[in-house]
Amino acid sequence: MAHIVASLDQPSNYKDSQSRIDRQTQAEILARSTTLYVGNLSFYTTEEQIYELFSKCTTPEDGGGIKRIIMGLDRNTRTPCGFCFVEYYTHAEALACLRYISGTKLDERIIRCDLDVGYKDGRQFGRGKSGGQVRDEHRQDYDPGRGGWGAQAQRMEAERRREVEERYQDAQNVPGAVAGGGGDWKAEHSQTTTTLKRGRSPEEEPEGGRGEPRARVDEPDHDANRM
Amino acid sequence: MSYHGRRRHHRDDYERRETYETPDQKLKKNIIHYGEVDPVQELPRLADQIAEHTPANISIITEAFRIGVTEQPYKIPFYAALLRLLHDRSLPEAPPGSTSIGRQVLEDYWKGFQGFVDRQAWRESRLCVHFFAHLTVARVISVQSMYELLQSFTRVLEELNLSHGRASKAALCAAEGLMIAGPAIKEDPSLSVSDILTALQGYIDSTRQERTLVQPLVQLFTDTPVLEHAEEWLDCAVAALQTLNGSDFAQTADSYPQPYLSSPPWTEEPFHLPGVLVPPEAMDLEGLQTESGEDAQPQKEEWPQCYVRLFDKDLSPDPTTPAGFAIRSALIDIIDIFEVNRKECARLLLEYPKWTVPGTFKPRPGAPAQDPVPEKDWQLEITILETILGASFVLPEATFKAIYYIALITELCKSSPQTVGPAVGKSIRKLYALLSDGLDVEVAHRFAEWFAVHMSNFGFQWVWKEWVPDLVLVPQHPKRAFMRRAVEFEIRLSYHDRIMRILPEAMREGDAGVISVEAPGPDYEYDEPTNQYHESAQSVLNLIRGRAKPDDVMAHLESLRNTLMETTENVDTVLRSITVQSLLHIGSRSFSHFLNAIERYLPLLRNLAAGHISTSGNANPEARTDIMSAVATFWRHSRHMILIVFDKLMQYQIVDPTDVVAWTFTHCSKVTDGKPKSTFNAFQWDLLKAALDKANGRVMMQRRKVAVLRKEADEKAAKAIAGESATMEVDAEARPDVIPAGESPQLTSAIKAFTMLTREQKSALARTLEGFVEYLAVDSVSPKVLEVTTEHAWHNRANWEDEDWETWETWCWYRHWCRMYSPYLRSYKETIGAVAFDKVPTTTNPAIELFRKTWSITTGQHDL
Repeated sequence: MAHIVASLDQPSNYKDSQSRIDRQTQAEILARSTTLYVGNLSFYTTEEQIYELFSKCTTPEDGGGIKRIIMGLDRNTRTPCGFCFVEYYTHAEALACLRYISGTKLDERIIRCDLDVGYKDGRQFGRGKSGGQVRDEHRQDYDPGRGGWGAQAQRMEAERRREVEERYQDAQNVPGAVAGGGGDWKAEHSQTTTTLKRGRSPEEEPEGGRGEPRARVDEPDHDANRM
Repeated sequence: MSYHGRRRHHRDDYERRETYETPDQKLKKNIIHYGEVDPVQELPRLADQIAEHTPANISIITEAFRIGVTEQPYKIPFYAALLRLLHDRSLPEAPPGSTSIGRQVLEDYWKGFQGFVDRQAWRESRLCVHFFAHLTVARVISVQSMYELLQSFTRVLEELNLSHGRASKAALCAAEGLMIAGPAIKEDPSLSVSDILTALQGYIDSTRQERTLVQPLVQLFTDTPVLEHAEEWLDCAVAALQTLNGSDFAQTADSYPQPYLSSPPWTEEPFHLPGVLVPPEAMDLEGLQTESGEDAQPQKEEWPQCYVRLFDKDLSPDPTTPAGFAIRSALIDIIDIFEVNRKECARLLLEYPKWTVPGTFKPRPGAPAQDPVPEKDWQLEITILETILGASFVLPEATFKAIYYIALITELCKSSPQTVGPAVGKSIRKLYALLSDGLDVEVAHRFAEWFAVHMSNFGFQWVWKEWVPDLVLVPQHPKRAFMRRAVEFEIRLSYHDRIMRILPEAMREGDAGVISVEAPGPDYEYDEPTNQYHESAQSVLNLIRGRAKPDDVMAHLESLRNTLMETTENVDTVLRSITVQSLLHIGSRSFSHFLNAIERYLPLLRNLAAGHISTSGNANPEARTDIMSAVATFWRHSRHMILIVFDKLMQYQIVDPTDVVAWTFTHCSKVTDGKPKSTFNAFQWDLLKAALDKANGRVMMQRRKVAVLRKEADEKAAKAIAGESATMEVDAEARPDVIPAGESPQLTSAIKAFTMLTREQKSALARTLEGFVEYLAVDSVSPKVLEVTTEHAWHNRANWEDEDWETWETWCWYRHWCRMYSPYLRSYKETIGAVAFDKVPTTTNPAIELFRKTWSITTGQHDL
């Protein structure tokens, strides 16, 4: 169908600006990626809201589903700073989001989705000077969904919704701090038939290992290249 | 945005490569974009350009036509006109009397069509048939050969073991081709239009029973519902054809543009379409079977397609009329083809009138006035909305995910809010009205989903006030159930306070039953110090909060068990509840927190699911039931969270899909409604579907794994054989050990896993049927089960109480389960059906007959 109109699920120019991997490698990773970067979220949007909208692109009957959601946090305040990662079990589900969800509203903001090379420890934290996303440092406008005026004002407004702000205070920036979400079905967990302990088959991966591209990618700055 | 020098080395990533268009590519592009300004004006100019193009390149022209026809069906009549005109042109410097460009392109085009048919690319084939049909009216293609082409599609309908998907696609090729080529075919007395009609009608008649199960409006009391608001697509086609045939296809000109007729009639020898054989259905060669030999690969698209009709025929065209069918069909094609880009799709839908016969749609506001054409002059936006909603409500499943149709309507509203907005409002009101008249529960479910997502994109602005009078209806009336559900979905996408604010005062009251007074938060049963297990629970909670090791928590639970045993009757149930609720309590901050809590204590949870604390063991159904009930108790105010938690409990294999199915039938209403019921509602459907989809999805994935491993093994074996014979020249038959070596340990264990997973899949499906038998088809069921299926009761539904509606809904969900999972149920009908139907009494009453009949239609056993 590419003859008449461009498909919306083609990778955009969203890219990790600090990445050292070449374009081709990145394209290969994205071509099977199950992870989405979701941007322009309100700071107050919860994971459950995200789950609700993004579950509309799941195909559980095909082995899919939402694996996990990783909320982007301000490095200093540990509060949501307007982006997240949504990880599915299948690539097709991530593509469906680009076609059907990217550019529509969540929590009354138009969100955008991009294929991502995959979550790595530490990537959930914003890398702006203030701790949040770079884009909010440059922002001149008033945006109630993102805590009012630019970086300075954000902290002033932080009191506004304490519950939301306190939610992630326990977030840690250490390996393994983020849950995997559950991997493939394994015979050894199926107690009904366990008679003998059997060794791991070579093709089995550790819990939560599935679907995470093992790319050697530097932490991206999610905004520097959005223009 | 600022551009940082340090990032310069990545610059190549964003550099636009200069693209040079060759003259050939330019020509191709011009043909593909033909007509976008004015197809009539552009026609001679484009024909000249093609004719003058050097060096001549027929294949590039053909390719452009092929793309144009199959990807922009609304332009087909104009492509036919272009090709007709090209029959008057010959290639530059060609000697007089040589074959025209048009003829050469047509000959080349034919080959492409053959390819579509061979690949069973049905839509492309059908659109090519349109193209040929127009060219037949233009006399460029021989009428006889066109007729034979249509017959090769109706011949498919005579096949044995014909699937409905294949039959309907072949039937549509024949029907739509005849609608367009009819004027020419009918003129030839040697060709029988009625033969084609008879073949189509014969097929339709053989699908009557299936049709009753997929109507968007339900009438349980009859096999042959006569419904105003539902139309089956093939029925529409035949009805339109009969009308056309009645007037010798005079109305074709009224339904399809025929721009080629402005060229002088083609008098030379027409092109004879070669005979075509529609190849037999592609079979799944992988053919992985279950342990008892059933085919585990489900076949979809096995149901007639019924579209809900919302508006009167003066607002949107009636699809059983020739013009109405043509319009509906064209709009559905646009919706399907442009699924890859909903924004472009919305634009093309709004531009559709320019490709239709003038006067089809009311002119846009601001456009020059035109004299309305009698019986036409339809409203574009209403027609588009009806078509999109009809397509998204097709049962059991729409072509695409619901969210596509929802996002498409959103784009339409963004493109033209003043005209599409009112059409959306009218559609909502029509659908809402149908809720009282038997709108299928699944359609109502999708309607609520669309409503909520749509409102979430447009500031939640809906005139809720107009539904306030319906608050006097009984709480389980479909209209009130819709209000609750729509609000629940809106809250999931937004938050409680926000939705509370948009509702009128009358709906905010707790006893209005529309929205809960409190936000749907967690409810930790042991929070109150007065709770007898408060202390015990606190001790567990503190350990978990302090991230104690699973072993330590287990040890603590064991000692707690010893302490509580003397005073507590069902100590294990209590401990499971305390543990699970404490974990959920710690994880209640967010979905991620929940995942973290669960993952940290997976060994503990798995032990609990086996009925133990610090030791593992076999699955214990009672323990698993306790775990699920604890979850549902904790999240009883938020059904969304119950669904999320159950999904992950299955993912982590703490419970199996069959456990969830069983719980849904036996324990769900007790926890969520406060009393056990023998009825099934939309929330139970969500739970059931999640469980069955999980079981089916696992089989699907494992099937793929096995296929990959098999392929690897085969390649390895082939290589080994090749290697052996190359080095030693030994007779392959003398070395039987080479081939079995293909079965690697990985493959063996993958096949074993596949066997276990299909067993689980069957068990989940069997448990579902058992559940519905208990609710609807055993001696002890409530008299309501029979009553609500009668015609008398249905006509009296204005006086129905909650129990009547709940029972009616249970019937509807049973039907939906049957049709939705029929591909699986067909495969497993023997094993699943035999056990469950053992409990169904042999004495018959109409309700039991209905139950059996639904099952037999589903599983393709027509005369059970």
